[in-house]
Amino acid sequence: MANDREILREIWEGKLPVCFRLDKDEVADFREPDPFYLMVPRLSYFPLVTDKVRKHFLKFVANEKAEQEMWLEYNGQPLKWQYPIGVLSDLLLGPDDLLPWNITVHFNKFPETEIYRFSNKEMVESYFMACLKEADVLKHRGQIASSMQKKDHNQLWLGLQNEKFDQFWAVNRKLMEASGDQDYFKYIPFRCYIDDGYRQKLVKPVTEDNHKKTLQDLLEEIFPGNKNIKVKTHGMIPPMETPLQWLSEHLSYPDNFLHLCVV
Amino acid sequence: MPSSFLFGINSEGRVHTLSTTGTGWRELPYGGQEFKKLTAVPHFLWALGGDYQIYVYVHGLDVPIRVREETYENERWLPIEGFSSRLLPTDRFHFSNADGTVDRSIDKIRLPSMAWQWEGDWRKELTLDGQPLDHDGWAYAVDFPSTFYPKKQWSSCVRRRLWVRFRKYSAMNSWCAIAPLHKDATNEPFIDVSIGGQNIPGADPGTLMVWGVTSHNRVMIRSGVCTSFPEGSRWTAIPTPEGCEVLQLNVGPTGLVWAALLDGRALVRVGVSRECLQGTSWVDVKPPSDGLKIIQLSVGTNAVWAITQDKHVWFRKEVNGMATMCESLCTGSGWVEMFGRMAQISVAANNQIFAVGADDRLAYYRFGVTEEDRTGKKWRALKAPMQVSRASSSASFGSDRLHRSFNNLQSRPSSMIEQHVTSINGEHSHSAPTAAAASLPAGDLGARYETQPRHPRAWSPVHSAGSVVATEARPDTDGSVWSVGESSSCIFAEDEELGWAEFEASWSWIEAGACTVDPSPPLPNWFGDSSGCGSSSSLDVDAPWRQSILRELRRRTPPDDQFAHYERPGEAAASWVHKGEARVQRGGDAGSWIDCLLELEWVQEGSLGNTGSIMCTGSLTILNADGASTLHIVSLNDITCVQMCSDPGTPRLAIHVPRYHTPVIRLAFNSDALLEEWQAHFSTTCGKLRGTTEKSSDESVWAATTYGDIFVWDPTRMEANQLREDECYVQKFDLTGKESPFKVALHVGCCPGTVITFTGCIGDEAERIGINLEAPPTYKPKHKTFTELENTCLHLNPRFKDECVVRNSMIEGEWMSEETEGGNPFVRGQEFNLRIETSEDAFLIFVNEDKFCLYRHRLPPESACFLSFWGKLKPFKVVIKSPRIILDMLNLYWRQLGGHLRRVESCKVGVTWGIGYDHTPWVYTGGWGGGFLGTLDSHNVHPMTDSQDFRVYENQRWNPVTGYTSAGLPTDRYMWSDATGKLKRTRDQVKLLSSRWQWVSDWMVDFHVPGGADKEGWQYAVDFPASFHANKQFTDYVRRRRWYRRCAIATTGPWQELGHTKLLEVTLEPVEDYEDTVISVWAIASGGAAMVRVGVSKCNPMGHVWEHVNTDQPLNSISCSPYTQVWAIGKKGCAYVRIGITKEKLEGEKWVAVEPPNGGQLKQVSVNKAGIWAVDLHGRLHVRKEVSEKFPEGTHWQTILPDPTILNSAPNTRGFKHVSVGENQVWIVTDGGTIARREGICKTNPAGVSWDIGIPGFFQYVSIKAFS
Repeated sequence: MANDREILREIWEGKLPVCFRLDKDEVADFREPDPFYLMVPRLSYFPLVTDKVRKHFLKFVANEKAEQEMWLEYNGQPLKWQYPIGVLSDLLLGPDDLLPWNITVHFNKFPETEIYRFSNKEMVESYFMACLKEADVLKHRGQIASSMQKKDHNQLWLGLQNEKFDQFWAVNRKLMEASGDQDYFKYIPFRCYIDDGYRQKLVKPVTEDNHKKTLQDLLEEIFPGNKNIKVKTHGMIPPMETPLQWLSEHLSYPDNFLHLCVV
Repeated sequence: MPSSFLFGINSEGRVHTLSTTGTGWRELPYGGQEFKKLTAVPHFLWALGGDYQIYVYVHGLDVPIRVREETYENERWLPIEGFSSRLLPTDRFHFSNADGTVDRSIDKIRLPSMAWQWEGDWRKELTLDGQPLDHDGWAYAVDFPSTFYPKKQWSSCVRRRLWVRFRKYSAMNSWCAIAPLHKDATNEPFIDVSIGGQNIPGADPGTLMVWGVTSHNRVMIRSGVCTSFPEGSRWTAIPTPEGCEVLQLNVGPTGLVWAALLDGRALVRVGVSRECLQGTSWVDVKPPSDGLKIIQLSVGTNAVWAITQDKHVWFRKEVNGMATMCESLCTGSGWVEMFGRMAQISVAANNQIFAVGADDRLAYYRFGVTEEDRTGKKWRALKAPMQVSRASSSASFGSDRLHRSFNNLQSRPSSMIEQHVTSINGEHSHSAPTAAAASLPAGDLGARYETQPRHPRAWSPVHSAGSVVATEARPDTDGSVWSVGESSSCIFAEDEELGWAEFEASWSWIEAGACTVDPSPPLPNWFGDSSGCGSSSSLDVDAPWRQSILRELRRRTPPDDQFAHYERPGEAAASWVHKGEARVQRGGDAGSWIDCLLELEWVQEGSLGNTGSIMCTGSLTILNADGASTLHIVSLNDITCVQMCSDPGTPRLAIHVPRYHTPVIRLAFNSDALLEEWQAHFSTTCGKLRGTTEKSSDESVWAATTYGDIFVWDPTRMEANQLREDECYVQKFDLTGKESPFKVALHVGCCPGTVITFTGCIGDEAERIGINLEAPPTYKPKHKTFTELENTCLHLNPRFKDECVVRNSMIEGEWMSEETEGGNPFVRGQEFNLRIETSEDAFLIFVNEDKFCLYRHRLPPESACFLSFWGKLKPFKVVIKSPRIILDMLNLYWRQLGGHLRRVESCKVGVTWGIGYDHTPWVYTGGWGGGFLGTLDSHNVHPMTDSQDFRVYENQRWNPVTGYTSAGLPTDRYMWSDATGKLKRTRDQVKLLSSRWQWVSDWMVDFHVPGGADKEGWQYAVDFPASFHANKQFTDYVRRRRWYRRCAIATTGPWQELGHTKLLEVTLEPVEDYEDTVISVWAIASGGAAMVRVGVSKCNPMGHVWEHVNTDQPLNSISCSPYTQVWAIGKKGCAYVRIGITKEKLEGEKWVAVEPPNGGQLKQVSVNKAGIWAVDLHGRLHVRKEVSEKFPEGTHWQTILPDPTILNSAPNTRGFKHVSVGENQVWIVTDGGTIARREGICKTNPAGVSWDIGIPGFFQYVSIKAFS
């Protein structure tokens, strides 16, 4: 059961300072717009927190572009909106990059081939819920999420959106318990990011002879033979001996997945 | 849920306990006796010893078992001798019981067994119904079966006085042997014993049933066992049908008995009822299949489980233990085989199952047993570790309790008289019919039997080797105690210091009768590493990987100073409108209900960034059904309280806007869900406006309503919002446009230091103007009404014709002498500035900034409650500066917290306790929310339950033809009515208040009514509005009986259940003046015993343990403040003061009785620095007068009658219900549900003068002890 509130709170409260700048080529005004500084939650998604950014830059872009979707870019890479902000930063920020995170804002030339389009927040919600259900299928054969009511789903989503820890965890804890008389999740829902994509595999939290697996065991299963691999999540590198079940219960993102970025 | 215990016997015959809140088995102190079988109900453990004798072990009771023995000494007046003990032959015994029917000679009243000890000697009772008696406790009457009075009259021919003596069960926390059936204990030993029957429907509270089986296969029942007589009086044989040889039996919580026979069949006892606790007959039940013998049975409330010879487990279908009269429901309908091989099984009172595995001898718990699925899902082994040490003294009962029993031993006087009495007892052997001695101590029975005449002291269970105390006090008797640690400290050692080992021991017996495990999670932490998810154990907290993760997570936090100017993404919905349909009441309390539309609008401006400030406003608009016209518009700022005011089945809310034309707006909703949704919206929006979204401050005032809802008012919020100028609180009134005459309320009177500034302009043609500081009128009762006599502290009356300003006071309608010196600084047609400063002894009056005069107080200035003016003048402005916070009772914002309580009591450091309707004590967790707020906006809330009884009376009248029937006279009350008979009540029309409530019982006859009842629950009387008694007499023409049905509420709130002991009242008081001081907590247990809670402080608000404080009378009410001053009210209406309280001895030394006010039986008391106040049964208020340092208890009571301001505060108000006294304030609750504050309390007049009335809010309890 996810009951280490101290860790959960710390994870929940993780924030990143971001400096948004409008792409110089897109400035239609005679003035250069000020950069926009925003403190964003690591667990959230960019479309949920960038309303103000859009409002701020809107008056500086050409009128005909204003109706277009805003998209974000860092170091020439368009940001995938469907990844939690914390995952994007773990993936893109190198160890030497200093905060704040400098992100360029675009209204023009949406990179259709590289990132999905999104028309509204409902799309983020449905993507989020789909992840959550996928994770539950791995953990409990989908029994918990499917037995939840619409209002529970709403509470999860609103809790995340409004940064209400108690509201979110009141429902999420049901998802983070082993179901019925089981002691562990069936499989650990995780995504391990390497190169341009991520890898997923069915990994059980315990070995055949009922010993707890650790992060080390997980990585050996994904990258057999590669001993010196390290992963980053939530802006830190968790110790290899961390038990997998605990890791999943406490360090999962709100979508119930562990997002591990190979460094 | 408070902790409860699972018991087990290991293969060595040692008894172990496992607490539902603990994680490991602890050995019960070993008393030299091994055991074979155990049977338990909460606090009472019975066992079959290795010597085949029966033992009882009483544990965990906060209030000791004390029994008051009474005997009346009767005397008759004889012409020459005066009163003498020589009575007439027709009279009663010289010493008798209250009605004279039983001989109660003092020398015949003995201790029932060795387990009891007298507490002190016989004493005379010196009060009669709370009134003190002179003449050595004698009360007088004309003749014997008559009413006794405290005073002797010429016609008094007889007198009597009451002698009382307490006896106490002294074998607590030790094994105590039950007398064997025969003098030779080996003659017919026992082979089984079982206790149950704690929930027999309708039975007297405390009833317990103990059944046993002897080696001759006879079934025995122990008569007289109850919670106040744990060992019972004697064994009585219960015949079994021919050819039925009983091997084992088990009693369920409802008294249902199943017995296993030698030939493998089962017997069921049917006909168990409150009149016939032992049942009426046996019915036999076949085993699951032929040749398969049942060897063990266990009975729960609604479940019977059996083990057969081949170790298979069987569940009996469709058994209902509540219907013990119905044969088919007692016997069930068939056996169902369960998976698993078990050696022994035990069913808890809530039908949960525990068992001992047949092959591995592990203890098992059956997972998934619920109301719907009584058979459960699977067996799971308990992996609780076991304490290796055999010392084990601290057990799970806590070492402090042990410590205390040790102290008791040393402090208890060992009186020789007691020894004498008990030994006589032993010889007379009244306990067993087969001529045996009374209860024996544990230990090797045979040996003990021989030695006891030589060592009579060993007879006392406390001194014997078989008791806890002896185990500690005499190391020589049991070497094993010392074998492990070899130092005495191991006995009181903390858990951590003792050695632990993984559980390997094998069990021979598991007993769950006293164990309450709720099958819904969280389960007790008994299943070792594998419970829940492996990670949850506390070991993780210190694991290096966790520490590293936590450190890394904290390190990544961006530094505050660098990014402080960064904006936040902002809230999702800043402004919103919530709409819905409801019905609103038109006009006043009796108005009609019309459909309406509700619109709640919330506007939030500004951003959440560190720089931006937020402006919030909100309003509630109530439109008529077509939305065309507005009925009410309310600014959320003006709402002071939102309360549920439902009638059963019709969910309603009352919105209090005291400053509006309609001070209470009542809304009705279509469903409970809608009501709660709106309640939550109001609560969160009003809470945000008032700044009360998180924990209320420690100074908060707590109140509970008649609905059990809990409200809290936070004075620091008001303080923060009140204007302040140089240490003073300021209130400003703009009176421009107001017409003279006019009144401005002064909420704190004119206490010294108050400055009132009044500016205005005097009219050109003014003759006389008046400016008054009015005090509340005196109400003189006159016939049935009141005459109102005016009082004025200061009358300032400029007379322009006479060129003077008259100063005067009016006291009770009479003007005093005038003061006129000093001319007239007021000028017609000009503006003026009048300043009145109040000092200790006078008003200083300044006009246009010049000192005009000084007016000595004739009435206490604190009593001034209005500034009024009349005459031709235009007012501009009034500014009131007061050194005290200006408290307007109508402006208090009452915030609701989740939970259901009847009382809630707080203290200065903020520790708060509540008591539910079922008398369960709850402790405030410091959280908020719960209840209708659900999990949103909640913090630290827990599930909470409470229960209440619905009661109706069935009335009947006797007529000569048909006897008692439900046909009454036309003038009679309803044949089904409430207690008063004025309201019709029928059983089938009762509705529950809301969907949170549900029925937990059916309608049942209540046999425990005041005045007593006969076998069918009837009470008789001469005619209806009369006093009822239990036995039908010749002149009785009417009878009634009470039916009740219990319902329970399930809700959540920031409260945590305290323990098993039920409470009537509690009072808390910090001992010293710092934050984490010890808090003195006094409480009254539901039986009326006083208790002190040890170890309560701010960081441990639950404390450790109750310490019992002896009282002669059962108590009703208690109050403590400061900690050295404790007052209590006895059940008979008399007051008591506790004396001898010191910091070291918070429980004090003794009670001293204080006579109640004339003709008034007190029911509740509250004491503090603002005085000693009490409420009596007639709803009057009394305050103790002439309290001084020398006489801290004062000399007499002053009575305050409910005056018209109180009587008119809410409908159906007749008097006071509750009083709470603070450091300088007194608040009361009326029986109409209004909270009011006493105004004008000062040193010279500690009783105050008038009332500041608050909202009529269904309140029934208030606690202001935290507020200063």
